[in-house]
Amino acid sequence: MIVGPMLDEWYPVGIFGQLDEAGRKTMLMGEPIVVARNGNGDARVTDSTGRSLPVRVRYGHVWTSLGDPQKELFAIPEADQPGRRFVDVGVVRVRCSPLRAVENFLDIAHFPFVHTDILGAEPHTEVQAYKVEIREDVDEVWATQVQFYQPQAAKSASGGITTQYMYRVAGPTSTVLYKTCPPKPSEWDVITLFVQPLTEDLCDVWPWMALFDDDTPMTDLIHFQQTIFLQDRSILENQVPRLLPLDPGMEMPTRADLTSVAYRRWLKRHNFTYGAQLVAQ
Amino acid sequence: MTTLLEPSVPGETYTLLRERMTIRGELDADSFLPWIRRHASKLGLFQDIVHSGPDRIEVDLAGAPELIDMMEVGCLLGPINVWVETIDRRRVSNAGG
Repeated sequence: MIVGPMLDEWYPVGIFGQLDEAGRKTMLMGEPIVVARNGNGDARVTDSTGRSLPVRVRYGHVWTSLGDPQKELFAIPEADQPGRRFVDVGVVRVRCSPLRAVENFLDIAHFPFVHTDILGAEPHTEVQAYKVEIREDVDEVWATQVQFYQPQAAKSASGGITTQYMYRVAGPTSTVLYKTCPPKPSEWDVITLFVQPLTEDLCDVWPWMALFDDDTPMTDLIHFQQTIFLQDRSILENQVPRLLPLDPGMEMPTRADLTSVAYRRWLKRHNFTYGAQLVAQ
Repeated sequence: MTTLLEPSVPGETYTLLRERMTIRGELDADSFLPWIRRHASKLGLFQDIVHSGPDRIEVDLAGAPELIDMMEVGCLLGPINVWVETIDRRRVSNAGG
């Protein structure tokens, strides 16, 4: 498999706080790598030949690239905002295309059916019209004015509310969700999905959050998000085809799928095809 | 133009729209035209290609509004060798004008 332009992008490969000098053996797009902390306490990533790869430590995670990134790692300004709690949720291994994992995160319509009585509930299944665009200035996909009724939008929510959402695709396997912050309505909670492509149909998913929530114990915050993602995993691992189709083929996308369509268009424009199916089958 | 169809369920009515969809971008008509016909057929839409070129395709469609919406969303992606920049839609009369 030719990795193509995705080679030069940034990917998460571990939680910085969990690194040790022995290192974590893992993979990035089929290439064995080791992620370790050196004697100075800095993160170091090496490939199978011992070559040092570029490294960034941001948003609780270590980021690297097998190629030569032409862009700096994307910014999340909320990561520097005082008063937020930063939550390294951990890792979930999913036997699916890394692009499928991102696409599933962007899909609102599945909430009532997969995350029943948490992120959605019947009969509130309608996805209201929202705006989607590829922002040329930052080269990102944005969906705004998204709203959905949720029985329990966050661990800090005490009842059902109509939740406002913004979705952002900041990298081929990195996506950021901004949603109504129940205890602080003037701010957005930030929930991300950082996906490490192990192979074209296997990935490690590293959710991370930046929340205004002083009350909920950290373990409960982590457990809440892991519960959501484990519900997604069973769906993701049974999707057919396993790779993300860039030609809709047998699928019949609707207006509710416009974020997914914009994401696929953006992948197609950049020739980001690792984990994608190019021709409908 | 909006046409009321004979309801398939007693007491129910639905509308049939006729629209011209103008697709612009880097279009490979050889692959895109059969793709458009196939996708429209799957959606059960009437279709008539009225113009095709490397940067513009015009197709007249008739069917339920939601299905024409789905046609537009599908065409935004299209086959892998096609890049759709924009899609414009406008109502047309039965005469096609």
